[in-house]
Amino acid sequence: MTPGTTYAACAALLRRDLTLAWRRRGDIAMPVLYAVIVTTLFPFAIGPEPALLARIAGGVVFVIVLLAILLSLDHLFRGDIEDGSMELLMLAPQPLALLVGMKILAHWITSSLPLIVVAPVLASMLKLPPEAMPVLVIALLLSTPLLCLLGAVLVALTAGSRRSGMLLALMLLPLCVPVVIFAAGALAAAQEGLPWVAPIAWLGAGLAMALVLAPLACAAALRIAMDT
Amino acid sequence: MANWVPLWLHRLGSPPVFYRFAGAVRPWAFGLALLLGAVALYGGLVLAPADYQQGDAYRIIFIHVPSAWMSLFIYGAMAVAAFIGLVWRIKIAEVVAMESAPVGAAFTLITLVTGSLWGKPMWGTWWTWDARLTSELVLLFIYLGIIGLYHSFEDRRQGARAAAFLVLVGAVNVPIVHFSVNWWNTLHQGSTVRLLGPSHIEASMLWPLLTMMAATKCYYVASLFARVRADLIASEGGKAWVRDIALGQPGNDTA
Repeated sequence: MTPGTTYAACAALLRRDLTLAWRRRGDIAMPVLYAVIVTTLFPFAIGPEPALLARIAGGVVFVIVLLAILLSLDHLFRGDIEDGSMELLMLAPQPLALLVGMKILAHWITSSLPLIVVAPVLASMLKLPPEAMPVLVIALLLSTPLLCLLGAVLVALTAGSRRSGMLLALMLLPLCVPVVIFAAGALAAAQEGLPWVAPIAWLGAGLAMALVLAPLACAAALRIAMDT
Repeated sequence: MANWVPLWLHRLGSPPVFYRFAGAVRPWAFGLALLLGAVALYGGLVLAPADYQQGDAYRIIFIHVPSAWMSLFIYGAMAVAAFIGLVWRIKIAEVVAMESAPVGAAFTLITLVTGSLWGKPMWGTWWTWDARLTSELVLLFIYLGIIGLYHSFEDRRQGARAAAFLVLVGAVNVPIVHFSVNWWNTLHQGSTVRLLGPSHIEASMLWPLLTMMAATKCYYVASLFARVRADLIASEGGKAWVRDIALGQPGNDTA
């Protein structure tokens, strides 16, 4: 691999971000712990009847995963902006959109993959029928990168402002409504034995569009935020 | 063709010129909005006949539907201004985009409130998770996010650029709101007023509706210009032209 090529730069950035995340393994566990704890609250709050829980399991899991991703998004660029490496990335000869895309990929691997792994466990705690499990995993595999990409654009927008936590929720959650509708819709259809491919295809289409547009938008937003 | 139009538009991009222009237009727009609004309310509440199905309760349409149109129209106007501001870095366009947001949010809120007042007698419920209601609520949240982002920055222009970007990202919701009644057949009635072809509404009910639409447009212009003037004074506080106005110097003052 020749140093200095775009490919090498992307690989190096991905390796760096994954190494940094691995050095702080506790942070990776946080979204998972959050999701587990919030899931256990539901049976306490609405009662433990299996029929009721099975009815809401899919939607609850999607909303919990969405909130866990929202919480983890805040430090997506924060460390890099604070220690100055974001400026170096922006000055690099490689396209910023690609480099930012690598950062989003690393973030998805460290924050969303663990959630996808535990999601079937959470869903079975809420009595989701086993035959709906594959649909849950497929829907999560398509919707979590979509949420990360959308979220990254908005995190980049708030990167220049000091209070961003609640603001991020206010900006991101309305835009996530279609993702939640399609993901939960696929799961609900699967639970009732109806065809569930159409909403999954919509999620895939959304993901394909976001994969192309979101890194570009994210790079533009970062340039706005860092332009002082 | 004379080139005074592009020249004039170019000059309008300068804050003091726009300040004076907005100051001159604003009273006329307010007056026109009041006049048209009064005519439309008289036509809608007094002259128009009662609906054969909904009785007199339908009359809230004269507030509800123009507000709903404006909630989308203002978003569109804001998106255009945001795009111009982002691409050509024109300060006035950024200010116009950001000051449109509170007006649009207000119209969205009015739409939701009057809709729920209308929904109670007609559907028997204040709120239902219907596609159009939900997407309109999401539109309100997007407006609030834009306003919040704009005000979270120390530097106004940086905040305006970031929020303008959010305006463009959130623009995907506008077609969803607009077509939601056609795409999903839920409780909300379909559209009755058509741009092309005949409308499915009685002419005596249609003209107050269209007059009210013109009134809300005038109100938007007036309210926007008043807000833009205030924003310009605040953000250009250190500039000479603001000082001239504040001190009542002749030449720049229009009051």
